[in-house]
Amino acid sequence: MKAGTKLGLLAFVLAVGAALVWFRMTRLVSLPDDRSVLVVVFLAAAAMGVVAYFKGTSLLGGVPPAAAIVMGLFLPFTIAVSKQTVEVDKVIALGDSIPHFSALDASGELFDSDVLHGHLVLIKFFRAHW
Amino acid sequence: MRRLEELRAEFDQRGVQVVTVSTDSPDDIAAERHLHGLQAVMLSDVQLTVTDAFGLRNTGFHSAPLSHESVALPVPATLLVDAEGRVLWLDLSKDYQRRSDPAVVLAAMREHFDTLR
Repeated sequence: MKAGTKLGLLAFVLAVGAALVWFRMTRLVSLPDDRSVLVVVFLAAAAMGVVAYFKGTSLLGGVPPAAAIVMGLFLPFTIAVSKQTVEVDKVIALGDSIPHFSALDASGELFDSDVLHGHLVLIKFFRAHW
Repeated sequence: MRRLEELRAEFDQRGVQVVTVSTDSPDDIAAERHLHGLQAVMLSDVQLTVTDAFGLRNTGFHSAPLSHESVALPVPATLLVDAEGRVLWLDLSKDYQRRSDPAVVLAAMREHFDTLR
């Protein structure tokens, strides 16, 4: 086995491992605020993938380093660009009355916020089930 | 959602109604419910009308897959509202991949709901 093929496989394993940790943390909603360690691991996997090509790989052995480079660069990229912004002056403020709203519930019935009146309520906004 | 359900006893004890709003379709919400077991009114806000009424649309770029016809996402947020409909507590998540921790929600309920009576 060529040296580059071996290194490429190692890079691939590292990238997949980091991605699995990443998705597991996302699933559990326990991503830490500071993700620099994960970013470093991803970038290291990408770098190893590049080095693997310089060392020379077989034709088939060229696939894992390519995957490592894509994953190693893509996930840090999503971290870097996924800054969320809200228009602060539009966000409901403490002490405000909540707006009246209606929406479909899980059974497709129309829910009207008037029924919340007289109850303590917790309202949770979240992205979606994924 | 599963994390929120950990607070079930705390919600019941205070008579708190739990309402969730997401961009999932009603079908998706129904299909996912068995996964988290959350007993709540789970609303589908595909067009973000409810999200916009609260001013919680995330106008930033995000790398997440969009669910169905939804074009944008709400900022993850948790609100505590009193019986008159006033916002007592508002927790905005800094990151759409993170949400309010149950411990934070419980502390807020103790601070804001338990001092009402």
